[in-house]
Amino acid sequence: MIVGTEKADPLLQVAEVSHRFGGLHVLRGVDFGVPPGSLTGLIGPNGAGKSTLFNIISGFLPPQRGTVRFAGRDITRDPVQTRTRAGLVRTFQTPKVFGKLSVRENLMIGCYRHLVSGVVGNMLRSRRSRVEMELMHAQAAEAGERFGLTSVMERAAGQVTAGMQRLVELARACVSQPRLLMLDEPSSGLNTTEIAQLRELLQRLNREGITILLVSHDMHLVEVASRVHVLCFGSIIASGAMAQIKQDERVRQAYLGV
Amino acid sequence: MSPLRRTLVWGIPFVVWVALPFVATRHIVDLFVFAGLYTIAGLGVAFLLGQCGIVSLAQSVFYGIGAYCTAWFCAHKGLPSPVGMAAGIALSTGIAALVGWPVLRLSGHFLALATLALGIIGQVLFLEWDWLTGGTLGIGGIPRIAPFGFAFDTPFRFYFLVWPIAFLLLVLHHNLLHSRNGLALQAMRDSPEAAAVLGVDSHSLKVKIFVLSAALGSAAGSLFAHYVTFVSVDSFAIDRAISFLLLAVLGGVYTVWGPVLGALFITVLPQWLSRLGDIHAFVFAAALIAAVILLPEGFGGAIRNWWRARAAK
Repeated sequence: MIVGTEKADPLLQVAEVSHRFGGLHVLRGVDFGVPPGSLTGLIGPNGAGKSTLFNIISGFLPPQRGTVRFAGRDITRDPVQTRTRAGLVRTFQTPKVFGKLSVRENLMIGCYRHLVSGVVGNMLRSRRSRVEMELMHAQAAEAGERFGLTSVMERAAGQVTAGMQRLVELARACVSQPRLLMLDEPSSGLNTTEIAQLRELLQRLNREGITILLVSHDMHLVEVASRVHVLCFGSIIASGAMAQIKQDERVRQAYLGV
Repeated sequence: MSPLRRTLVWGIPFVVWVALPFVATRHIVDLFVFAGLYTIAGLGVAFLLGQCGIVSLAQSVFYGIGAYCTAWFCAHKGLPSPVGMAAGIALSTGIAALVGWPVLRLSGHFLALATLALGIIGQVLFLEWDWLTGGTLGIGGIPRIAPFGFAFDTPFRFYFLVWPIAFLLLVLHHNLLHSRNGLALQAMRDSPEAAAVLGVDSHSLKVKIFVLSAALGSAAGSLFAHYVTFVSVDSFAIDRAISFLLLAVLGGVYTVWGPVLGALFITVLPQWLSRLGDIHAFVFAAALIAAVILLPEGFGGAIRNWWRARAAK
């Protein structure tokens, strides 16, 4: 019964979300959903409120009005880690890798939400603790190969290139097997070739069953999305397929000023 | 690392450790016993600082609680040593959990000041609650640890008790560092936001490590009480908390064995320098400043970096 409801309903539902910083109304009753299995895009010019909305969905900022529902449950007041445990995982506009740890260790931590061993068990190297470490190593090795990181696995993540760090962050998020992967401006800092590779990667991940919410101001990247929402001055001004969106007068005005 | 080199790296320090009490004077062995006690207490502080970024000046309180519980249960009540130590650890961890839960929501210097306040409150209570602690007069007559009739009643014997315990705790520390929660701690230190989006509950993990650190401080305090057989408030003042923090910083908080080097520095070096006469305190202070400036990652970090650079060549 529950499974049926989840299939019918959006995986993520943002309803009437509003937020203001002092006198500045950043979000005005934003309403949109992310269907399960989709690759949904959220675009908008600089200052549209994308990052604020992203922070509200991922739990870094409580909204002043409105609700966020994930898999049928109201998560508006849940802390970040509770949302993650439910399967909502995000990346950051500036990649946040664990700089002092190796790339391998960064990937290993991706498994964290699925593991349960405690501090004392870890100290005593309990059987569960050892099994979990083996699992973490295996998952990291697999992700390293899948994302083309094998040559840098033992290097400190803080010392690899910006493009690699972006990939490490994405690979780490995928290791956590998210139900919804939220990507915040994943193309920033990447060159044209890397953006093309990123597009392919996102399509592949989506085909493998990961629901993706892609936030970007890069229209070219967002073309991979099956459905796109356009945010402008805190409101959704258009929703639909990319081809449709491109023809929308309000969108053209917001992006091109014509 | 080749098997021969590994044997040498582990074997030489082990032989030196075993041989030391046979060749050193009683006074030197006594200093090494204190270095072992400080290693145990400092390990908790180093773990908090290195893995959670928490500057703790409260360790003297837990060290004191361990010592007073041992004094109270073993000297006053005549109960065996494990009871005193267990009571100390239970009380310390309970207080650490109760205080840590709200306090560890703070960060940076506010958190350091909060732990300093805890250290000062502890010191005042140890002094004022003289019906319990004996105040400035302290509590004497604490029995030695004597399992199966074998009393650890000399520096020589205690040396072979305290250091194996310290080594065992270092191994446990190492295990924790290379586990799910150890990686989570290091992740949290590097980027709390990124750790949170992977499901790491930073606050809860910090509280657990604070509790663990308190347990180590308390265990060290209990051993201290059994060793000196007398405890008074002077041993648990705020300067003791600063010593624990100092040894963690000097030894290096990013290596497991850093606190050992830090503890040796602050216990053995001042005594060794005392032969210089009145200027020894000045020389020690200068060595301290030089160590902090020249070795930002402590002795442990410097040795590790040197070792890695050598291996890379």
